[in-house]
Amino acid sequence: MNGERSQLRAQIKQLDSLATAPAILKPLLDMMRLPSDQIKLEKVIELVSYDSAIAAQCLRMANSPLFGTRYIETVRSAVMALGLERVRSILLGLCMNRLIPQSKWVIAPDAFWRHSLGCALVAQRMAQKIEYSEPEKAYLAGLLHDLGFLVNSVLYTEDFRECLRRAAEQRAPLHVIEAQLLGFTHCDSGQLLCEHWGLSKEFVDAARCHHDAGPLPAAGPLANLVRLSDLLCRVRYLGYGYDEIMGIDLGGDTAWQSLVVIYPALKDMDLVRFTLDIDGAMEQIVETVDSVFAAKRIAASATS
Amino acid sequence: MPLEIAKAKPALSLESNPGASAYLTIRDLIYQTSGIYHPNEGLSVLISHCAHRMAALGTTSPSEYLEHLTTRPNRAAELRLLLNEIAVSETYMFRYPAQLDALRNVILPQILQVKGFVGPKCLRFWCAGCATGEEPHTLAMFLLEEKERLLAGWTWDILATDLNDNSLETAGAGIYAEHALRATSDGMRRKYFKDVGDKKLQANDLLKAQIRFDRVNLSDDSQMLFQKGVDIIFCRNVLIYFDPASKRRVVQHFYSNLLPGGFLFLGCDESLFHVDDSFRLVHFSGATGYWKPAAAQAVGGRQ
Repeated sequence: MNGERSQLRAQIKQLDSLATAPAILKPLLDMMRLPSDQIKLEKVIELVSYDSAIAAQCLRMANSPLFGTRYIETVRSAVMALGLERVRSILLGLCMNRLIPQSKWVIAPDAFWRHSLGCALVAQRMAQKIEYSEPEKAYLAGLLHDLGFLVNSVLYTEDFRECLRRAAEQRAPLHVIEAQLLGFTHCDSGQLLCEHWGLSKEFVDAARCHHDAGPLPAAGPLANLVRLSDLLCRVRYLGYGYDEIMGIDLGGDTAWQSLVVIYPALKDMDLVRFTLDIDGAMEQIVETVDSVFAAKRIAASATS
Repeated sequence: MPLEIAKAKPALSLESNPGASAYLTIRDLIYQTSGIYHPNEGLSVLISHCAHRMAALGTTSPSEYLEHLTTRPNRAAELRLLLNEIAVSETYMFRYPAQLDALRNVILPQILQVKGFVGPKCLRFWCAGCATGEEPHTLAMFLLEEKERLLAGWTWDILATDLNDNSLETAGAGIYAEHALRATSDGMRRKYFKDVGDKKLQANDLLKAQIRFDRVNLSDDSQMLFQKGVDIIFCRNVLIYFDPASKRRVVQHFYSNLLPGGFLFLGCDESLFHVDDSFRLVHFSGATGYWKPAAAQAVGGRQ
């Protein structure tokens, strides 16, 4: 693994030249760390307006039948019609999409975004339930936990495609197959990309540890929240685009056990009830992602 | 009397409803008494059930209806009527495919592996509160389909019980309208049913032979103590009618009825939170189940 890791680290450094990281990515990541009530509308409008393709996407989506019949022609009204949550998700989704060329996507991009946004939302809701002080941070950690997918897609396209094919065929967890075939997993590459981008240790840990079934003594609450959210999404049809064979005792998971020591409110969480709650919220995620990708497909066919 | 939870189309939204806080209180009341939970996104379903009861009582005010459920002398009867409204008796075969997938992919392979080492190769299933028999017939078809594959070399016993004699009689006859078989494939219909006219199908002898029907009262301790060595118990939408103390007693009986490593399946919306903490809640793809842990055994393996 050490050999692969140093090779991986060297390659990740070149990632920036492989594809251009959109200029708004850094300010966007900074903004995402803030609680919703501290995000300034003007700042969001500025970010959206900065990039014409993103502005067009927001306008297109705000004008979709999902958001009423009124015709919207300014970025400001589009942002207001969509709501802050949705705009944030669209922005980050589109930024990440552009990090890698279309031909290199191994996992279906919409499945990837459904899973990432699902984890983000579950981590945030769970954080609120247990009274974790920064639920917004949990949202971001959930959103970014699978960045390793992007690295693997760009740097190891064909091998990663084979991993996903075998995982889907065996209905097995992807990281298990990655470890067998590549010698490392998207957790390793995700960790390295997060480090390369200068994200804080908590986000790095969440990317690194979210598939660790063993004790996570060094990892903080965010890594544990993200691990549980990832598991929950995968058993509620928001996995990597295929249905895994799995049975999980979330309450017996080490991530749960570690969290409950610091956040006793977790004991009062009825997991059946929580699962039903998130099922409802997931419908909105699926709807958002589907409309973003439907709009992309329409745009692509219009230009081809 | 197991009943299926009605999945009506949302008719009203919380925002547009003036009695929102009364409905939230009713939601909590239903959750506390029956264990059935309506998330915010599904509240319109609860509201439309309440609307039926409110119309029957001649009231249009949600807060007045809340009084009917909480403070008026007929409150216990009204609560039961609302529960009946929420859980309609209409059901059909293969209603919960995700639970069957969990059985096939995760639970049975694990049980077979453990039981394969010791004792006879026999599995015991119990459908507690089987009503008109759709559930045990589904289970029987599922097991017969696995006979040459997963269950090669194994035998099984399906016990299906209910308190209601009329339901048991219907279940035993095994005659169903087309509607009850709407999720059953043509191949299975041909294999396990015969046409008895009047647009009805009857379970054939092979299918009938898989199930033993019996009358069992889940509140009768002596009857409950008698059931032993069970691998899987299904008890869907039955416990919702029990008060918390009786529910706890029934669940504790289920726990002792099950072999270590066994599973209890409830309805998808039912929770045992604050009812029992001996069972472990396990999430499968699209389904949940309650597990009686075997010593030093982890569920599911790979994560």
